[in-house]
Amino acid sequence: MPHVSSPVLRRLVDEPLAVPDRARRHLADCGRCQAGRTEIAQNAATAAHLLAVPEEIGNVDLEWFLLAERLREPGPARRPAVCHPRRMPRRLAGASLGTSAAVVGTVLVVGAGAAAALTSVYAPTRVAPVPVSTNDLRAINNLTGLSVAQLSRGLPPSGSLTLAFGDVSWNTAGQPQQVSSIARARALTHLAYTAPARLPAGVGPPGSIAVQPQVTATVHFSSSAGAGIAGSTLEVSVGPAIVVQYGGRPGPAGLTTLGIAVMQRPAASSTGATARELETFLLSRPGVPSGLAQELRLLGNPAATLPVPVPAGLTSSQQKVRGAPAVLVTVPGGAAAGVIWESRDGLVHGVGGLLDSNDVLNVARQVG
Amino acid sequence: MDTGFMSRLGSSPPQASLPAFERFFREQYATVVRIAFGVVGDAQAAQDVAQDVFIAAFQRFGDPGESDHACAWVRVAAAHTALNAIRGERRRDRRQRLSGTEVPPMGPEETVLDRETRAEVRRALSRLPRRAATVLLLRHSGLSYAEVAEAMNVKAGHVGTMLRRAESALRKELQNAARV
Repeated sequence: MPHVSSPVLRRLVDEPLAVPDRARRHLADCGRCQAGRTEIAQNAATAAHLLAVPEEIGNVDLEWFLLAERLREPGPARRPAVCHPRRMPRRLAGASLGTSAAVVGTVLVVGAGAAAALTSVYAPTRVAPVPVSTNDLRAINNLTGLSVAQLSRGLPPSGSLTLAFGDVSWNTAGQPQQVSSIARARALTHLAYTAPARLPAGVGPPGSIAVQPQVTATVHFSSSAGAGIAGSTLEVSVGPAIVVQYGGRPGPAGLTTLGIAVMQRPAASSTGATARELETFLLSRPGVPSGLAQELRLLGNPAATLPVPVPAGLTSSQQKVRGAPAVLVTVPGGAAAGVIWESRDGLVHGVGGLLDSNDVLNVARQVG
Repeated sequence: MDTGFMSRLGSSPPQASLPAFERFFREQYATVVRIAFGVVGDAQAAQDVAQDVFIAAFQRFGDPGESDHACAWVRVAAAHTALNAIRGERRRDRRQRLSGTEVPPMGPEETVLDRETRAEVRRALSRLPRRAATVLLLRHSGLSYAEVAEAMNVKAGHVGTMLRRAESALRKELQNAARV
């Protein structure tokens, strides 16, 4: 039998019964493995001693009392370093739903892009909220050289940019367009869009149906990029998507009360760089806010998670839509809400509008 | 249980999800505060970290009992938040050294290790890669391999590798510090 691997030797210290008998038999006769086990056991014992923790710390009743007091305080309670206390700028707080949606949309694209770059094959299966501030947005825009206004207006169908660590080019498979029917949108995108059978009170018929073709972006990392990254290529695809906007009833025809979007989940593939190398490189770029990078790392498996940026001042909570994890974002006061989730067929859905969260979730559960 | 604390909470909390959150808090509190203690080495500071982590969890998870990763999230967040806290402590220590300010006396809970050793461990942890420090804290706070694997989103078989490397790195950091 080959020598016992070091992870197995480490597990022998904690969970000896989990180690196969043949490994123990080999160990009994192998001086090299015995020496390895001794060193590993000494390191483990040292760490256990240095990191020893008392059995009980604090009084859980008292701690719950103190916590509940803080949770009952009006306004946002102080957040820890992992969640970054940020106040919503006044101009954002008073912004219309359209503006907020544009900001959310912008950061979603940026966030998805960042996450997509974290793995050689990015195929998210769930969504998770990530708090972002306007400073985060500004920092990311500085990295790309694009302004929030440019991103909000939308990028041209194709183009390229020079970045500090290489260049990025993108191409759109066709033109974004308005179509006359949902059937036409389905035919153009091959997406399974289901219109809700029951609409909340005050929501009128569809006012516009838009189709966004798939966008493919390719990043070529220059030779000045970090070890393992230099010379590699990362390809990210987003879309296609269908966006349906509903008008008011009664009310001005131009007012959007409800929006429903469905898109193919983003995906990424890389040549020459591992997921871990890409994650480390991208999140350590100068200008990437350390708090945001930490939040993205905290999401867990980056290859399987689509981060949903939540601007400061908005509230997010985790929900379920037809069994799939969903992120519900609400405006203070409950005047507007939106929910994003990924269904089991690999489609990312979004429903939002000038509705309360119950109405938004009711619609979501009809279309997901 | 001290029901006095509970009765003072009132029967109608302003957050609809407060009762559900209390269940989650009571299930997870001991684990979270132990993970934080492994870094900060001080009961009061560990309790402060735990409070912050649960505030963030309350804002993040409407009903953590319904979330499939709330437990993992608070455990990793406890390690990260505590590691962030000692980064600030390193700056404060340096400021105190440079200004000649007296370091406050040791608290009664700092009995497991002497103060200097505890400070060295904190410095070493803060210099380790974040994932290495996290796996050490989770495992040595009492989590099983399976729980560490779930919290860090890795296979259980990989925990041994991560632990071995992290423990070796911790020893080297402490040896390097001793040589300086």
